Amino acid sequence: MNDPIIEVHDLTKTYHKKTVKDEAGFWARWLPMARQTETLTAVDHISFTIARGEIFGLLGPNGAGKTTTIKMLCTLLEPTTGTATVAGYDVVRQAAQVRQNLGAVMTGERSIYWKLTGRENLAYFAALYHLPPAVARQRVNAVLEQLDLTKRADELVERYSSGMKQRVAIGKALLAKPPVLLLDEPTIGLDPQSARNLRELILEFKREGHTILLTTHYMEEADQLCDRIGIVDQGRIIALDTPTALKATINRLDVLQVEVENFEPSWRGDLTALPTVETLTTEQLGHDGVWSLALHTGDSRNLLPQLIQTIGARQGRIRHLQVKQPTLEDVFIALTGKQLRE
Amino acid sequence: MGSDLIIQRSLRSELRVLWVMAHKEWLIFRRYPAWVMGYIIWPLIFPLGAIFTARALSGPDARALPAFAALAGTDNYVGFIVIGLTVYAWINITLWEVGFHLRNEQMRGTLESNWLCPTWRFSLLLGPSLTKLATSLCFLSLAIAEYHLFFGVPMLAGNPTLFLLVLLLVIPSIYGIGIAFGSLVIRFQEAHTMVFLVRGIFMVFTGASYPLAVLPDWMQTVATWLPLTYAIQSIRAISLQGAGLSEIAADLRMLAFFALFMPVLGYLLFRFTERQARRTGTLGHY
Repeated sequence: MNDPIIEVHDLTKTYHKKTVKDEAGFWARWLPMARQTETLTAVDHISFTIARGEIFGLLGPNGAGKTTTIKMLCTLLEPTTGTATVAGYDVVRQAAQVRQNLGAVMTGERSIYWKLTGRENLAYFAALYHLPPAVARQRVNAVLEQLDLTKRADELVERYSSGMKQRVAIGKALLAKPPVLLLDEPTIGLDPQSARNLRELILEFKREGHTILLTTHYMEEADQLCDRIGIVDQGRIIALDTPTALKATINRLDVLQVEVENFEPSWRGDLTALPTVETLTTEQLGHDGVWSLALHTGDSRNLLPQLIQTIGARQGRIRHLQVKQPTLEDVFIALTGKQLRE
Repeated sequence: MGSDLIIQRSLRSELRVLWVMAHKEWLIFRRYPAWVMGYIIWPLIFPLGAIFTARALSGPDARALPAFAALAGTDNYVGFIVIGLTVYAWINITLWEVGFHLRNEQMRGTLESNWLCPTWRFSLLLGPSLTKLATSLCFLSLAIAEYHLFFGVPMLAGNPTLFLLVLLLVIPSIYGIGIAFGSLVIRFQEAHTMVFLVRGIFMVFTGASYPLAVLPDWMQTVATWLPLTYAIQSIRAISLQGAGLSEIAADLRMLAFFALFMPVLGYLLFRFTERQARRTGTLGHY
């Protein structure tokens, strides 16, 4: 493994929020004694390292702490405790040097000026990255070319598609040729084709030698792009390994995917209690009483007849059934008991 | 790898950043052409209410005018009102634009992407302020021309060098206040209330449309702590009474004091709120 370029040790971010006590009356709520401090731990003692040239993914549901982690690494947010270094520079004490060594894409299409052209946006940020003017011009043209934006470079960004705006946002991160790229949910909001094109670009960045930390809640994206993945839930990394190794940890479990008509949520307890069922997730499909069930089990052969009998006894009707290979989402479900989308 | 750093940070490149930020603000400003109409029409409309009120209160044959002249030092009530409200409007625009700049960047979503760049953070306020200063001076120039043409008020009738000196001294104060606002907005994510509050204070306490002598003593004391008071007072003296350097020296000294003190206060507040924003994560909130 190459030497680490990002090192995170016991990183924590805690927020303190003043709220009103539940028992406070309408008038009393304005008094100091009616206030209490709530503590929210967004990132809870996480540690990881990222090797030079690696694509590392933080995969988890919304609110897991992925964006908070990235914000601390790119110096937008101060950690509460713990340390982190990027290219050898501490994110708190050497913030300016950290910013010189990374390009970050945080809010995608909203992070650029819509009343400027694509070229004007890149020229602006090239200056903010202290690129000498001649170098800036050359880099702007090169980035426009790489991101297939040259033809419309001199149109206002407000007329671009979402995919083009996202590419301009990524382009500004590439201008100074930073060794590290931080991409926060880079394909969110994009149509499938644009998202696919962007993933190809990310792989191209890796081939160029960039180290990439990306956050996503799309497990297919993490599976396709990442050399290693940290699965994040409630501020903690609950698993960290290559996609193959992560899926292998639950290889012993089959996933029975069942579509049931007339399903009632009250059946969950009985189904979970069936022998060898590790976890059960349910999702309603449409409004016609059809639900999709995913049961993680170590013994699908013996579970199947019991499952059919249990559902049939409750007047349910199985209209589709398959045994699946585990995905990263199944890994997440096995670890947390809930879906990535919850 | 293909990631050899090509950044060359220097004083020259930091100055280039200021220029680029100013240029960016100009490009965005000129792509909203409605501003131009506002800058042309607003100076004409703004003082009319006060002028007609004064005309009504001056009574038949303007018989109350000597009483006004005794308090104001001039019977040219149109000029008195126009000058006061023009300076007030100019400062109002400046406060609004500077005070809201960071908030606008925050709401656009571009504040974080600027913050991520390895550049002096204060440039984010200082650079765009250059454009806002230029556009506000355009407003002032248009207003001066319109008042001369339509109201017969020659704001540059007196010593134009002194007029410019007053402007040069009041600009740092106003930008200092604006920068303080802009910083607080990052912390509290609400700018309108604060700007309205300060606008109201300036309107009432600085004698923008009436002589300070009509205010109660305690309000006159408050007025002595506002830089705008001295700016309006001295420009009126220059334009309406032909005052020279010695007559406005005391006002200039106070403006110089505020010119030193306010920008420092603004910068310190900016550093404080920037640190707070990094602790609380409010940079990206809108």
